Amino acid sequence: MRWIREHKLIAGLLALLLVLILVFLLSLGDRENNTVTGGINKAMSYVSRPFTAVTRTVRSTVSGIFSYKSLQAQVDELTAEKEELERELAQSSLKKSELEELRELSDLLNYDYTEEDFQVVTADITSFDGSNWTNIFTIDRGTEAGIEAGNVVINGDGLIGKISQAGEGWAQVVSIIDDGDKVSFMVARDRKLLGVVEGNQQAQIAGYMLKGNATAAEGDIIITSGMGTYPAGLEIGTIKTITYNSDTLLKEITVEPAADFRSLKKVSVIL
Amino acid sequence: MKYWQIGLLFLAAFLIQPSLLNVINIEGYTPNLILCLTILSTFLYEEEIYGVIFGAVFGILYDIMYSNVVGPMPISLILVALGIIIVREYTNVENIINMWAVSIVSILAYYFMNWGLHHITGNPVGFRFVFNSVPWIALYSLAVITILYRILVRKLAKHRRDRYIR
Repeated sequence: MRWIREHKLIAGLLALLLVLILVFLLSLGDRENNTVTGGINKAMSYVSRPFTAVTRTVRSTVSGIFSYKSLQAQVDELTAEKEELERELAQSSLKKSELEELRELSDLLNYDYTEEDFQVVTADITSFDGSNWTNIFTIDRGTEAGIEAGNVVINGDGLIGKISQAGEGWAQVVSIIDDGDKVSFMVARDRKLLGVVEGNQQAQIAGYMLKGNATAAEGDIIITSGMGTYPAGLEIGTIKTITYNSDTLLKEITVEPAADFRSLKKVSVIL
Repeated sequence: MKYWQIGLLFLAAFLIQPSLLNVINIEGYTPNLILCLTILSTFLYEEEIYGVIFGAVFGILYDIMYSNVVGPMPISLILVALGIIIVREYTNVENIINMWAVSIVSILAYYFMNWGLHHITGNPVGFRFVFNSVPWIALYSLAVITILYRILVRKLAKHRRDRYIR
């Protein structure tokens, strides 16, 4: 007691520390999206929205002024790409007619197939976790738009991650690197080449090919195979390294993610 | 410094950290503003613990929003603050080199404890990855601490430990 009286400040902090350790131990179980969590996230979503919007506007204006030359080069590149895409579009219209013929044929043969049809909700990112290690962020759409925990999140580049929690006006997204889930993939060039990837300790996407003799190579684009949570055809990234592990007899790969998690502005949620 | 002024600083840091700061990150790294303020306020203000209390409160809020568990951030902040309270008894707080030394050790200790607590809960992020990024975060945080120190140290009474002034 005497020590406490003489060291009130340290004693107070130790008491606070004990309370926090208790809170920490209590929260070790599965975290539910309770009213407190929902309320804080909703409030923060509204508060941080203007901050993020103003900063982005200022940043894009300033960088636009200083990167005039690179923007011009980008315009030229995009013009060339547009011409190329127009040519490809003309070619694919021919393929489309072939596809329709095949569908008619499958109807005639009573072939049963399911066509995946997804509903997508687009949302703005309101805040990032800012921990420097993980890629967790909050978006401005939530349960009111039909978003719920487990929904898959994508953007124009490819697969981003999954919804971990959702409430009215907000939802939290965890990237595939931090999610801890295994994602089944196939190589876009040859869809018979299958494998599994997940986030590793170095905050990268890594995994292995299912067959040791798979002919995947560095630079191959990998897409989701459709097995498990993630729908088929979403780009995960590009194979960065590929090494043969003589112990497991598997080809291990590291993947450069298709999406840059730190420069995201908008994402789409597949309901 | 009054408690509400420190509170306002922490509130601003809490709002800026997940929004504005991430948009102006350098190579993906951002300083930890709440940690910077906790270190600074604990080191500079000897008779007050508002900095630690606000650090713990905003740490809890931060964990509620972004972490799987509540506690790693405030627990690490309080442990760091306790360390600083002990160290500051033997150091001259008006010397910026002391501030830098305390800050570097505190930042390293904070990230070590924070990583450890997250690791217990099953977070897959590896020790090597975290400590490869810590030097950059520490440098960035040190720059913020230096700026804030230069501003806040002016409000302290000069030579207050000097027996001739007392």
